[in-house]
Amino acid sequence: MNGDRPGGASGGPVPGGPAAHVMEPIERMVSRVLKAGIAIAVALMAVGLVLSVFDKEGMPSHVVPLADLPALLGQFDPAAYLSLGLMVLIATPFVRVAGSIIAFARERDLRYVLVTAIVFTVMCLSVVLGKA
Amino acid sequence: MAVIVAILVVAFVAGVFGSMLGVGGGVIMVPVLSLAFGVPIKTAIATSIVCVIATSSMAQSTFAARGMTNMRLGMVLEVATTLGAVAGGITAVLVDGRVLQAAFAVVLFYVAWQMSRRRGDIVPAETALMPSSYYDPAEGRQVTYGVHGLGLGFGLSIVAGNVSGLLGVGGGAFKVPIMNLLMGVPLKATIATSNLMIGVTAATGAAIFYGRGYMDPYWAVPAALGILAGARLGPRLAIRLPSRVLIIVFEIVLAVFGVLMLLKALGVGV
Repeated sequence: MNGDRPGGASGGPVPGGPAAHVMEPIERMVSRVLKAGIAIAVALMAVGLVLSVFDKEGMPSHVVPLADLPALLGQFDPAAYLSLGLMVLIATPFVRVAGSIIAFARERDLRYVLVTAIVFTVMCLSVVLGKA
Repeated sequence: MAVIVAILVVAFVAGVFGSMLGVGGGVIMVPVLSLAFGVPIKTAIATSIVCVIATSSMAQSTFAARGMTNMRLGMVLEVATTLGAVAGGITAVLVDGRVLQAAFAVVLFYVAWQMSRRRGDIVPAETALMPSSYYDPAEGRQVTYGVHGLGLGFGLSIVAGNVSGLLGVGGGAFKVPIMNLLMGVPLKATIATSNLMIGVTAATGAAIFYGRGYMDPYWAVPAALGILAGARLGPRLAIRLPSRVLIIVFEIVLAVFGVLMLLKALGVGV
């Protein structure tokens, strides 16, 4: 178990400057998930905004419930694309934490697998409790 | 259209400051949306939570690439803040909301005062606990440090998560002083780590608000896009600026935030 490895251990402290940091696997995982989440969310919101320009009703002021989403996406409903964009943005931290569990598991860092699994469980639990 | 452009601009500014200080953009977004744009408070909070997620996700790609985020510390403290946030419902029954807001304001003033007493950042100690290292371009050197006071920090993070879960704001405003003043984490690493953590509590809150129908794309989408642009700039400023400048900006934000909370507790409409 090497739970407390320094952040820059893989690259070592290189005095060359800010670009010298070599990312750890966990940093790469977090970075990739967050970047992908933002890219997908922004793309969906952009589609939604363009669709709303051509829509008679203009910019929608309601989100679409998850169940109605597939049908409305097919009809190119602007609210559906904007809603899905917001959903992706909201889901990104969930995916980030789930991805961290995998990244720590790959490093056989069991202590942090447990830590991140607790965080993920509590996140899901609070969404379920909050809906009740 | 003019409203959307205005929201984009406000959100951009909120994104810059929120990501630069690790507190998220919610501090600025909630009062501006509800006071200047007349957005209903629940919708304003829902929009601001989306902004916090956007700040966190965008800023992290810059901070993580520089190795400034202490991933392990962040994930351990996330256990505390999420547990605290879940327990928020229990506290809501036990303590009056106004008492909590007033107490929150007092703590903010106290933290601002504590931070202003030191003329710069903490002196990092190289302990064996969650050691980390990053390059600080403002100082032109590699900063190496370890964490201490994990028990106390964990305990106070439960309280921070609890209070922010209740009031809907302010998680980062507590997380930054806890890590910086009590756990020996240098300010820039603190800001980066707080930035990672605020996305987690905000995401659970946002999922709940979405499910209850408080999310309004008319406000949330332009706000999120503006925040994303601002949160590209903020971390770059945080990395380049000297820590003492960041501390001064942080103190001002805490003081303003404290005054707003106090007004709220006294029943003046904010």
